[in-house]
Amino acid sequence: MASMDLMAPPGANTGLALAEPVPVRPSRVKARIGRVIAGILGVLLLIFILGPLVWMGIAAFAKQWKYPSMLPQSWTLSFWSQVFSSQGLLPALGLSVRFAVLATLASCVICLPAAYAMGRMRFPGRKVILIGLFATNAFPKMGLFVSIATLFYWMNLMNTQLGVVIVQALGTVVTMTWIPAAAFASVPPSLIEAARDAGAGRLRVFFSITFRLALPGIMVAVVLAFLACFDEAQGTYLIGAPNYITLPTKMYALAVNAPIQSAAVFAIVLCIPSIILMLLVRKSVMGGQLAEGFQLK
Amino acid sequence: MTATSAPPVTSTTQRPARNARAGRWGWLPSLGMASPPAVLVLIFVGVPIVIGVLYTLGYTGGLNSVASTLAVQTYPAVGAGPTLAAYSVVFADATFRANLIVTVWVTVVTVLVVTVIAWAVALYTRLAGGWLGRFISGVAIIPLFIPIVIGAYAIRQFYGSTGFPVSLGRLMGIDVPVWTLHTQGIVVGQIWASLPFAVLLISSGLAAVPDSLIDAARDTGASLARAVWSVMLPMATVPTVIVATFTGVGVMGSFTVPYLIGPASPNMLGVALQQTYASFARPQNAQVMAVVMFAMAGLIGAAYVWANARQAKQSAVI
Amino acid sequence: MTTTATDSASSGQVDRRSRDDRVPGLQLSGISKDLGGRTIVHSMDLTVPQGELICLLGPSGCGKTTTLRMIGGFLTPDAGRLTIAGRDFTYAPPEKRPTAMVFQNYALWPHMSVTGNIAFGLKIRKLSKAEIREKVDWALELVHLTHHRDTMPARISGGEQQRVALARALVLEPQVLLLDEPLSNLDAKLRIQVREDIREIQQRLGITTVLVTHDQDEALSVADRIAVMNGGRIEHNAEPTTLYSRPRTAFVASFVGAMNWIESGPSGGGIPLQDGTILPSDHLSADHGDRIGLRPEDLLPAPAGTEGTAPAEVERSIPRGHYREVVLRCGGTELRSYTALNLAEGETVGLRAGRALVYSDGELQGGEAAGAGEAQAFERRAAVQRAVASDALDSGPDSGGSGPEPDPAADRSALA
Repeated sequence: MASMDLMAPPGANTGLALAEPVPVRPSRVKARIGRVIAGILGVLLLIFILGPLVWMGIAAFAKQWKYPSMLPQSWTLSFWSQVFSSQGLLPALGLSVRFAVLATLASCVICLPAAYAMGRMRFPGRKVILIGLFATNAFPKMGLFVSIATLFYWMNLMNTQLGVVIVQALGTVVTMTWIPAAAFASVPPSLIEAARDAGAGRLRVFFSITFRLALPGIMVAVVLAFLACFDEAQGTYLIGAPNYITLPTKMYALAVNAPIQSAAVFAIVLCIPSIILMLLVRKSVMGGQLAEGFQLK
Repeated sequence: MTATSAPPVTSTTQRPARNARAGRWGWLPSLGMASPPAVLVLIFVGVPIVIGVLYTLGYTGGLNSVASTLAVQTYPAVGAGPTLAAYSVVFADATFRANLIVTVWVTVVTVLVVTVIAWAVALYTRLAGGWLGRFISGVAIIPLFIPIVIGAYAIRQFYGSTGFPVSLGRLMGIDVPVWTLHTQGIVVGQIWASLPFAVLLISSGLAAVPDSLIDAARDTGASLARAVWSVMLPMATVPTVIVATFTGVGVMGSFTVPYLIGPASPNMLGVALQQTYASFARPQNAQVMAVVMFAMAGLIGAAYVWANARQAKQSAVI
Repeated sequence: MTTTATDSASSGQVDRRSRDDRVPGLQLSGISKDLGGRTIVHSMDLTVPQGELICLLGPSGCGKTTTLRMIGGFLTPDAGRLTIAGRDFTYAPPEKRPTAMVFQNYALWPHMSVTGNIAFGLKIRKLSKAEIREKVDWALELVHLTHHRDTMPARISGGEQQRVALARALVLEPQVLLLDEPLSNLDAKLRIQVREDIREIQQRLGITTVLVTHDQDEALSVADRIAVMNGGRIEHNAEPTTLYSRPRTAFVASFVGAMNWIESGPSGGGIPLQDGTILPSDHLSADHGDRIGLRPEDLLPAPAGTEGTAPAEVERSIPRGHYREVVLRCGGTELRSYTALNLAEGETVGLRAGRALVYSDGELQGGEAAGAGEAQAFERRAAVQRAVASDALDSGPDSGGSGPEPDPAADRSALA
């Protein structure tokens, strides 16, 4: 390469092609305008997201609310006492909790050992199982439920509690394998080796070290699974109605039949467990446990 | 949300520990531990799908027999071969075709709008930072805390004939159209419900792009917009594709939102499915619709796999 | 610097190859920056002549990276002016500055190949495909990576990634090259090779360069000048030799090279130690002060009892390859010496100081005078080395017994 001039690149000098001296501090107007636009869009988003919820919330306390007024003309708490004393709420609540607990427990038993295996061990078919479980999400939910219903008819599971539990548990499989698997996988092997080195047996190591460290991730998965079961409406409706009415499926009926005030009260009650539980795991969800679960290699 | 300098490009992910039990069959216990969910899914998802497809092709006996007995009408296969009778009946129905169009339209519009909004929110939070960014991100996540039934009901009331926009319009003398019991309402509900997941995933995708990569692009002469286009966008392709496919499949098969907000007809396939199965007692027709939905989802899934494979090849992290 | 007639004629811009050497390549005047309520950089003045490599050296938190980022345009100074080749770029964003930075973690774009990374800036400048290809070839040739033209960054080693980052910066012909701790992610052996490569390229291309590091070895070996920073201020800005032999402040003296510190001013023509013993010194930079600094190589051990020395005992003797680091206790004070002598633990020697630097309130006293003793110190050290070498040739080391007596024949062949 004797001919190559190694002191500078060939061709025209581009060093100052884009250079533009700026001796004076640029004005803040552009930045200000940008912030104002962002603020306006933020407010629009706020109305879009919260508007419907607030509107419904107000209705729960409204005695008389005539169109087109922005606020009710008179307020009352009567619908609250009505709903709480009505026939439907407590049984539906009880059933919702029972199904959700059963389904989540079943999911724990079935999925957590698998999550451990997939997070910390190597075996043929590991990737296949992971992707395969994930693939259940690839099927449109209602289509799946219809197909399951046909099988349930044959297995005599239609309109049974077991049927509902199975359907709800199915919905939690991905959450209860992927997220705990990522949690187990993130325990550094060096910590386990140090414990074995100190003399701990395998079971001891598992409970004191691995399980403890993966617990936050597992808790996130359990809470998300419980919520998914508690709020599950479609499958429960298809399989359980009309014998087993949970809170969400009752909502379907209320939405079309009941006055907006009762439905609104019911809705708020149904929201409370969701909000409380989600607030508890909020940090992990927004902090990336959820997204990390998707990155499992 | 800003990222600090990242280590050099070669990745070091936590590998699963080798199974301590040596020997040729050492992997058996692990496979055993991992199988329960797989078995559950195989029995309660795999089998239904297979018999469902067979059902649509006319095999009304065997596992499908009980459902068939309860049916008002089925189209069984003649002899041993499959038949497309059920398919032709369903596709001949103008209502079904209308539902199909509505389903595709709502899905496409939702995916596009959600992707754009999620990118806008995530990008603003990442680049501008500050309390405004965090606030906007936080607001976008709220629907995650609310059960979908409640959300759909609230939207139904809000955009209804006595809802907020219509009332506000009336007070100001403007005629605002009612969106509840129309396709527009369904789209609004789907966007509302799909936004949090999209924002979360794209935000995490953008957070994974270190500041130094953007700085380096600007250092070379790119404006901030060009840097985002040439560096951030390509690097966040995977989360974007995940968002698009998940949202697409989720919207396509949804029931609650179109049921509560949409019109009686035409509505999305999810609602038609439930009605056809339960109210009209035509499980085989419903199964046909389900298979059509699976096929559409399959196309989306194929796109996802293709995009993922391309990404993996590019970043050489296989 | 000679002018390349053809080049300056073809481009109408200021061609670096025919620059005006009187205009400083880079100049900072009164640059200051506050971050998070703390002042990171205090009103800094810095002038870098064209084509020179200046090193910003200092501990973490001293403000060197902040300064570098201000030069690059990633931070805006709160006050002051910044000019490059005489033009004011104080508030210009990075894309409008004729600077190019090599980031600490290289910041290669993982979705683009090596060529893609290098060509990115050229594409923005809207060059033709042929021109881009020519320039990229030149850059790859410069860093010896032509064989990795189409490889993706994830597939090449750390050292190679850094070369790509360097090529990416240089292909744009920046007026100022910025290097942010370029060697910190490389292993020890590679560091030495790479820093020499960087220096060689920089000198050949004649680019004004600012290099930020906390490693004083690195700074001493590649820089034309070093600016030692502490707490947001430059404590001493000088050539490496001056910086080493006449550090202006006690901080610089400690930071660059090792130093023995004695907390007292000179007395009796020497250095007073803890128990009052005076360590005789050939040369003190001043008569009054509150601290004395003594470089280990300027602490000269001689056989015990030699005239003009203070007695000392060897506490530890650490082999360092071609010399030894000896920890001695003299007059109750612990001192370290670098010497070629093969001393053993427990041995008694006589100590003398060659050159000592006197500080008062952290500032070097008698700077000019300090310089005067340098030449003699240098000569003396060389003489010691020669004596030791000839000793070894004659009869092998004669120390108090740190090992078996080596066979003279074997020894001679080792030195041959």
